[in-house]
Amino acid sequence: MSTPTEIARAFCSTNGHQFIGPVGAGAFKETFHIVLATQEHQALKVFQPGFSPERTSRELSAMQRCAHPNIARLTTIAQFYHDGIQYLLSIEEFLSGGTLSSRLQSGLLNRTVIRDIGGQLVSAVAHIASQELVHRDIKPDNILFRADGTTPVIVDFGLVRDLVRTSLTESWFMRGPGTPYFASPEQLRNEKPMIDWRSDQFSLGVVVALSTFGVHPYQEDSATPAQTVECVAERHAQTAKFIEAARHAGMGFLLRMTAPWPVQRFRTPVDLQNAWEEASF
Amino acid sequence: MAAYHQMGHDSENLLWTEELNRYRGAILSPVNYGLDKIAAQTEWARSHGTFETIFDPQMYVPNSEQGRLREWPYIPPDVDTADLTSDAWWDRVLDDLIQACATIRPTALCSPAPLPRTYSDEYFAHIVDIGDQMSARAAEYGIRPVQTAVVSMSDLAAAGRSMATASILSRSRASSVYLVFVSQMEPRRELNDVEEIKGAMRLIAALREAGVEVIVGFSSSEVLLWKAAGANHCATGKFFNLRRFTRTRFEEPGGQGGGQLPYWFEESLMAFLRQSDVQRVIPMNFEHLGVSANPFSERILDQLESNPEQAWLALAWRQFMFWFADVEYRLETGSTNAATILRNADNNWHKLDEIDFFMEERRNDGSWIRPWRRALAEFQPR
Repeated sequence: MSTPTEIARAFCSTNGHQFIGPVGAGAFKETFHIVLATQEHQALKVFQPGFSPERTSRELSAMQRCAHPNIARLTTIAQFYHDGIQYLLSIEEFLSGGTLSSRLQSGLLNRTVIRDIGGQLVSAVAHIASQELVHRDIKPDNILFRADGTTPVIVDFGLVRDLVRTSLTESWFMRGPGTPYFASPEQLRNEKPMIDWRSDQFSLGVVVALSTFGVHPYQEDSATPAQTVECVAERHAQTAKFIEAARHAGMGFLLRMTAPWPVQRFRTPVDLQNAWEEASF
Repeated sequence: MAAYHQMGHDSENLLWTEELNRYRGAILSPVNYGLDKIAAQTEWARSHGTFETIFDPQMYVPNSEQGRLREWPYIPPDVDTADLTSDAWWDRVLDDLIQACATIRPTALCSPAPLPRTYSDEYFAHIVDIGDQMSARAAEYGIRPVQTAVVSMSDLAAAGRSMATASILSRSRASSVYLVFVSQMEPRRELNDVEEIKGAMRLIAALREAGVEVIVGFSSSEVLLWKAAGANHCATGKFFNLRRFTRTRFEEPGGQGGGQLPYWFEESLMAFLRQSDVQRVIPMNFEHLGVSANPFSERILDQLESNPEQAWLALAWRQFMFWFADVEYRLETGSTNAATILRNADNNWHKLDEIDFFMEERRNDGSWIRPWRRALAEFQPR
C-alpha cells in the first residue's frame, strides 16, 4: 500500500496541483501543504483507508456545516483511486500562521492579545454549538493562525460529536475521546449524557488559562500533567493559585468556564460571549 | 416569585376564591378534567390579567387508567404496548399534544416525562430530548415550553447526583424547569431525610445559578426549604396527594385526592393539626412571625366554637393554601426566612415536649423540624 505522501503527490500530479510538503500527521490522517493551479495555498488531508468511515464522514460533514471566520474552511472532498485502492481526501484552507502551541513556546500572551484572540475563539465555539456539534478536542495544537497572525482558526474536527446523531463512542469506555490535559471531567469520565457545548467551553477555558497565566486551572505546583488530569476527572476544586490569578486579572469568568460540572459553566453561548465582552481585563 | 395552584379533583373553585388571589397561576391537570373544562380554565385565567396557566400533560405513567387521562387526544391508542424510548412514538404524541394545547391555549406547557425504573443520566438526557422536541413545536404556537424533570429524592441523596442531574437538565432549550420530586414518603408525612432534602436543595440551587427558572410542583410545608434553595415558584393543591408526588398516586382509585380528614396548618409548629390538637394548641398562643391574618383560620375557629360537629374540610384546604401563598410571599420579599421560622417551630415543639403535650397522631411530634434545620444549615449551593 502506498504511503500518504505518495498518495498526496499522485493526487497533486493528477489534478495539476503543486505538492509542497507535509504539515502534520495524526493517527488516521496526514496533512500536506499544496498549491492549487489557481495559486491558492491549501491543506490536503489524506485519510487512512478503512478507518471508521462514519467518523470521517462526521468530521467532514461537521466542517461543511460550519461557516465561521475562525473555523477552518473545507473546500473539497475527493475520492481518489491509486494502485486500485480508494482514498478519501479533503482540501481545506492552508493556515500559515502556525499553531497556538508554537506561539506559546515563545511566551505567554499579553492581555490585549488574549482578549482579541479569545473573543474570536469564543465566537467560534458558539458557532459550533449552534450547529449542535461538540468539537471535543480544542487545544493549542488545534488552534492555528491565518497568515495575519491575529486570526485564530479552530481545526481538526476528527473527534466531533454530532448531538442529533447517535454517539459513536461506546458507553463502556472508561474514558471518552479527546486530549486528556484539555478535556472536561465529563469527557474524561465518558459521561456522554453530560457532553455538550459546555465541554468545549471547558477546554477553551483551559487554553485561555494556559495562554494567559501559564497554569492549568487544576494543576498544583508540583503536580504532573497526569496528576492534573486525575484532579479534573475527580472534579476537584480549581487551584487557589489559578483562582487568585484569574480574579486578579479581572478574568473571573474563567472560573466558571472551567468549573467541574457543566451546570456550573455558562449555560448558553450567548451568556459566555456576554461575560467575555463585559469583563475588564 | 409566586405560588401556583396544583390543580386536582374538583379544584376549580379554589381558582376563583377571592382570598386566594395571591396565587400567580395554576398547574393544570388533564387527569380530572376534559379538554373543554381545561379550555374554560385557561379562558378564565386570560380574563384575569396575568394569571398564568401551565398545562402538565401528566404522562408520568402514560398507560395509566387514572381519571380522564385516556380521553385526551395526545394519549395514543397504542399506549399500552408502546416503546417509550422510541423517538417516532414521541413525535406523534408531541404533535397531538401541541394540537390539544393549540385549542386550550395555556400560557405554558410542561414537557411529557414518563417515570423511569432508574433515574440514570441517560433517562434525564432522554426527557430533555423530548422536551427539546416539544419546545420546537411549542414555539410555533407561542406557548412557553417548560422542561419537566421527575427526580427521585432518594437518588439525590447520593453524592454528585444533584450536580449531574442539574448538568443534564440545564442543557434544555426551555429556560424553565418544572421539578417533580418523587418521594417514598407518604403524602401526609413530612420529609425527614437530611441527605435527600440537601440533594433536592442543591439541585434547585444549581439550576437557579445556571439561570434556569425553577418551578417545584407538588409542594407542601417544605416550601420553606425549596424557597431557601432558590426556587422561583412552588405549587401546592388542596389534597395531600397534590402536595407530595409518589408512585402510588397512579394506583389510587378515581383520583379523589386521598385522605379526607381536615387539618389545620400551624406555622408556629410547622405542623398539620387535627381538630382536637387545634383546640388545645391555639389557646397556647405560640409566637407567630409576621403571619398574615388567615381568613380561613378565623372561620375555622369560629366554626369550631359555634358548631364543633360541622365538617371543616373545605376550610382546611383553603387555610393551608392561604398560608402557602402567604409564606411564599413573605420569603420572597425577605420579611422572614426559613431558618427563623424553623427555629421558632423547634422552640415551640420543645415547649410542648416539656409539658408532655402529645398530638392526636402518634407521628405528629415535630421530629422533622431538626432534619429540616440541619439540611438548611448544611446545604451548600455547590
